Amino acid sequence: MSFKARILAGLVFAFGFAATTAYADDVPSLKGKRIGITVIGTEHYWDLKAYQGQMDEVKRLGGTAIALDGGRNDSRQISQIQTLIAQKPDVIIEQLGNGPVLQPWLKKVRDAGIPLFTVDTISPHSINDTTSDNFGIGEKLALQLASDIHGKGNILVFNGFYSVPVCAIRYDELKLVLKAFPDIKIITPELRDVIPNTVQNAYSQVTDMLSKYPNKGDIAAVWSAWDVPQVGATQAIVAAKRPEVRTYGVDGSPDVVKMVKDPASPASAVAAQQPYLIGKTAVDNAARYLAGNHDLPPYTFVPSVLVTKENAAEAEKALGQAS
Amino acid sequence: MDGAIDQRLGVALATEDAEAEVPPLKRNRRGGFVRFAAIGALLIVFVVFAIAAPGFLTRGNLTNVVEQSTVLALLAFGMSIVIIGGGGDVIRGGIDLSLGANLGLCAAVFTVAVNAGLGDATATVLTFAAGASVGLVNAFAVVGLGILPLLATLAVMNICAGLELVLTQNTVLTANSPLLAYIAGATPLGFSLTDWTFLGTALLLLVVVHATPWGLRLQAVGGSVQAARSAGLRVPLYLALSYVSAGLLVALAAIVQAARLSGSSPGSGDILLSVVLTSLMSAVFSRRLLPSIGGTILSVLFIGCLINGFQLLNVSSYWVNGVQGVLILLVVAVRSVSRRSGEV
Repeated sequence: MSFKARILAGLVFAFGFAATTAYADDVPSLKGKRIGITVIGTEHYWDLKAYQGQMDEVKRLGGTAIALDGGRNDSRQISQIQTLIAQKPDVIIEQLGNGPVLQPWLKKVRDAGIPLFTVDTISPHSINDTTSDNFGIGEKLALQLASDIHGKGNILVFNGFYSVPVCAIRYDELKLVLKAFPDIKIITPELRDVIPNTVQNAYSQVTDMLSKYPNKGDIAAVWSAWDVPQVGATQAIVAAKRPEVRTYGVDGSPDVVKMVKDPASPASAVAAQQPYLIGKTAVDNAARYLAGNHDLPPYTFVPSVLVTKENAAEAEKALGQAS
Repeated sequence: MDGAIDQRLGVALATEDAEAEVPPLKRNRRGGFVRFAAIGALLIVFVVFAIAAPGFLTRGNLTNVVEQSTVLALLAFGMSIVIIGGGGDVIRGGIDLSLGANLGLCAAVFTVAVNAGLGDATATVLTFAAGASVGLVNAFAVVGLGILPLLATLAVMNICAGLELVLTQNTVLTANSPLLAYIAGATPLGFSLTDWTFLGTALLLLVVVHATPWGLRLQAVGGSVQAARSAGLRVPLYLALSYVSAGLLVALAAIVQAARLSGSSPGSGDILLSVVLTSLMSAVFSRRLLPSIGGTILSVLFIGCLINGFQLLNVSSYWVNGVQGVLILLVVAVRSVSRRSGEV
């Protein structure tokens, strides 16, 4: 990476981070306010960081959080939301989960007169959704993939969570980009990533596919809408000694950023988000709304960065992950 | 004919009593104490929440508890019927571990059928057929092949989970149909249709299991297979019917769940631990320390109130899992101790 490019990358980070922190200090107090926080689960890096970001910010602003973890079970999350509505908190913040399952219940939140904010959940009932620009993430990741494999080859795609709106956007962007690269083909049937046991499951699925397509060049890359399947895929590729197969994912968990940084690892790129800042920003938006600012935009995009072999070391530092 | 069988049944049940080392009077007294303690605990929890948890006693909240407990209740009724028919022994007695996976399968069948344009009526029939078929497979494995219910239903659980994956590809499937919209939205006499389903099924089963000849004979089969057989009962038929009934209750639960989640969603199997807990727990609400429908209703509401009350008190939901585990240990301990002293 040239010196100029490094400076540029540094500036992008600095600008991105400054842009979201600059207005962080004018946040009104949440004293005396009860904030309902409902999340589908907290077992992954992204989930946990975004959740902690919300909890810490509610505490910092003097509010009381009613925090509910659905344990990755739709039925449990729905029951929690139903009880939460009866508790009539001053605001409800909903994080991730399956769109079609959630929508009727998010509508009930609004029908009950409770302001609704979301984290990574697109909903017509949400006053504001704090999220990364998943359109940009999906597009940049797909372009990086296409460029790395020189616009040619077969790719494996994990598409198990199309029901999660942000995953759907990333997948749709991949398909859109691939329209411009007719020589890149998605191997069908697509793979289905699962929760729990995501890493082990992705490992065995990719191992099976590598056996099914045994020759160098049969598979050029593995794409997944988040980075936990990417971990399993990368490990499977290393174990099968097929380092020419590259892996791509989204989220930027510290272990994955480290993999990308390792020049020998098949992990080629990961779109790194700032989940903690996303969680914090959602609470800040809710606090502004409760203080009377009803002119919030429907989306607040928190900057993300595409971590590649070239910029991984700086990105690790900028993301606060360097040890 | 029926009267004659029931007369002999009385003898059979009396024989079963005579077999126990502890005199019936003492046994009743001990069972009575456990039941008293259990109902006392339920009342204490209820009163504590009523005083401490804001909004607990409001009508809206209590109907929420019932609504949130309905799927669990229907499955637990199924489990209780299987245990009543198969006997209360945790290892050798009746148990149906496939209930949770069957729920996922039935919800998937309903959703796929609706999405295939088959219409609500056909989808409902298919869902009940799927639930009953799983019950029949369980019955065949347990009654026909003589496999321990614990192992037979464990295997069937895996079959159901696999079939659900085949149907859904492990993804969330959305379904919109007039029936689902009706169940989700209708509130006859001010209560949701889900609340009514809980109430209606509970009343029906209370009568069928505890006040009809069929129910009494089922209890006799569970009490002592030999005595029931010598009284002329067709034991295999009753055992088989208990698994099929459980399967039908699962199908009903699946439609309620599909309305609640707008389709089918992976992870239904997670409910199994709660089903086992509530059904085992129902035993402590009965004098003979055996599962009963009434006991199941109480334990389902107990668990429902616990989860709801914890949330209202802003106690972390993580505690609920721990409390459920402790309750299972307690209930199994009470049963084991009673068994050792020859009570059950």
